[in-house]
Amino acid sequence: MEHMIDIVTVLMMGTSLAVFGLRQYKLSILAYSLQTLLLVTVFLLLHVKYGAHELLIWSATAFVMKVVFVPLYLLRLVKKLGVVVEDEPVGGFFISPVVALSFSLAIAMMFYKVFMHFSLFQDDLPLFAASFIFMMGIFGFVLRNSFIKQILAYCLFENGIHLSLALMAYNSHELVEVGILTDAIFAVIIMSILAKRFHASYGSLDTSKAVNLRG
Amino acid sequence: MDILVLILIVPFVFGAIMFMMPLHFKVLQNTHILLSVIVSAILLSAVRKVVEGNELSFFHHYLFLDSLGAIFLSLIAITGLLVNIYATTYMKWELEEGHISLQEVKNYFALSFIFTWTMSLSVICNNIAFMWAAIEATTLASVFLVAVKKDKKSTESGYKYIVLCSIGLAFALYATILLFSAGNGKVEGEAMLYTTLLAHAENIDGMALKLVFIFALIGFGTKAGLAPTHTWLPDVHAEGPAPTSALLSGVLLKCAMLGLIRYYAIVANGVGFDFVQTVMLVSATLTLFVASFFLIRQHNVKRMFAYHSIAHMGVIAFGLGVGGAIGLFAALFHCAAHSFTKALAFCSTGNIAKIYGTKDMTKMGGMIRIAPLTAVLFGIAICSLVGVPGFAIFVSEFLIFKAAAIEGQYLLMGVFALALAIIFIADFSHFFLATFGKVEGQVVHNEEMKLSENLPLIALAILIVSFGIWQFDSFTLLLNESVKTIMKQ
Repeated sequence: MEHMIDIVTVLMMGTSLAVFGLRQYKLSILAYSLQTLLLVTVFLLLHVKYGAHELLIWSATAFVMKVVFVPLYLLRLVKKLGVVVEDEPVGGFFISPVVALSFSLAIAMMFYKVFMHFSLFQDDLPLFAASFIFMMGIFGFVLRNSFIKQILAYCLFENGIHLSLALMAYNSHELVEVGILTDAIFAVIIMSILAKRFHASYGSLDTSKAVNLRG
Repeated sequence: MDILVLILIVPFVFGAIMFMMPLHFKVLQNTHILLSVIVSAILLSAVRKVVEGNELSFFHHYLFLDSLGAIFLSLIAITGLLVNIYATTYMKWELEEGHISLQEVKNYFALSFIFTWTMSLSVICNNIAFMWAAIEATTLASVFLVAVKKDKKSTESGYKYIVLCSIGLAFALYATILLFSAGNGKVEGEAMLYTTLLAHAENIDGMALKLVFIFALIGFGTKAGLAPTHTWLPDVHAEGPAPTSALLSGVLLKCAMLGLIRYYAIVANGVGFDFVQTVMLVSATLTLFVASFFLIRQHNVKRMFAYHSIAHMGVIAFGLGVGGAIGLFAALFHCAAHSFTKALAFCSTGNIAKIYGTKDMTKMGGMIRIAPLTAVLFGIAICSLVGVPGFAIFVSEFLIFKAAAIEGQYLLMGVFALALAIIFIADFSHFFLATFGKVEGQVVHNEEMKLSENLPLIALAILIVSFGIWQFDSFTLLLNESVKTIMKQ
């Protein structure tokens, strides 16, 4: 069981690099869907290992909302906008994943030991993965210029937080998870509406063109 | 029915009702005002119960209203109501000038209730994760109050707003999770409740609390506009409609600050006040000087006030940094004083933009002759913002000086005075540029607004002067009780 959880969380880390680095939107969205499926698997494995029945409900809601709904919504958005490949990120397609990967690893190394002290579940690799995925999301916002990639970056760090929540606070009231998940879904929907407007105004999804308000 | 349940339901239902209203401006306008009055009455009746000494709590203590929350709830009620009334006038102008459609006006009114709902929820949450979710929801509810139009600038401001606030608040969520897990098993009762965590703060690991506070500062500080994560604020406040800017600056920033103050209280009682005060002072000093530096360079009246918002969040942080009973009292008083002042400031920019058709102050001038009442209201906002005696903000800034003097922090007094001096010079030079002399650009609307249109602004001006001169017993009671709660006395 221990190894299973570790293997799945390592796969999650791999998929976060795929979400971040893949140039084709479709593939990137599918990688996100796969990552969330792995997240659901971690929830189920933790449920079996620790008997945490709360995580059963979490896995069901995460599956419906994040494995199915969000990817479908984003795929529809990409199709509607008629975009296939993302705009060039800060530092180019090769450099930005390397920067994100190395810094995320370093920061996750720093934080996961602190989290280990207080975590309800003392699984070190999943805690490390949670911080890593969160930081990959943050770097996604900073380094990727495409609006859709930034929505995916939001989804990434939300997955990191969701995993942290499961490891560190699974026994909090069920409404806590519902509240956080609802916010995340609405955030994706609102960002998607803004992405459509952005595309209509600027003729692209390149957010580096958003410089009209500087002063 | 419990008053907290009404707060939980009514604004949301009113938002839904507004969405279903017919597309008729007069109907929308009157309904919006009527429903806003009802919401404010409910919020104020909850505040009144707290003033009378009742403890409000609901749903296993997940929702509650203490004296600290009551201060901020009264800001949502009073500032929110006056700005919402002014919004009906502002939207009428926008509609007449063809800047906005009737459908967009309806959406705006409906969303403003959803926004009020999320802000009220953030104030009455005792569960820290619910509070985080509510604060995040304030961003989501207000994105389309900022990006009302579909043009480039509007879209860009909406984009920056949601992206930067979401990133910032993600750190606050980590603070929430870490605080829960650090407190779990160490506190008696549920470790997700603010009241439980505060009551047993000394049992929680000190190192964890320090990390929690840093994360909370990044998270809620981003939303509150503290430097260096303030960069979204000038763009968003400058681009949104005047009533939105007034609501964001006058009320929303304070809700984020309340989130930070709640963490401040828990961490301070866990690891001692020295740590949180030092961190707040560093953040406040950086915020004050960054804001005052950019303030000097601004000619766009809304951007100028946006940088003011940042500066005054720095003042609140400075009050929390100086600490002690007087410093905390001053910081909380400043929340109210700045709320009224900034609401008036941004609403007056709505009048000013109507007169000149621009927000550029170098193209204004002679406002005192064209629209004397607007010029006076604008002047009252400026006088309060720079801390002229007799206006609300003077009281809190004076108290911060007093708190620093009592603590023997003379260097801090000097730093604070220097920042305020820069703001003073920048503001009055801008004020004179717009108000006196000859008109530099064109005048689009060469007369004063109707008195009925200016009534909410006059009410805000009266509040600013009243709070600068009088001491309101019930408000002082709330402030004193809040200080005692934070200091656990």
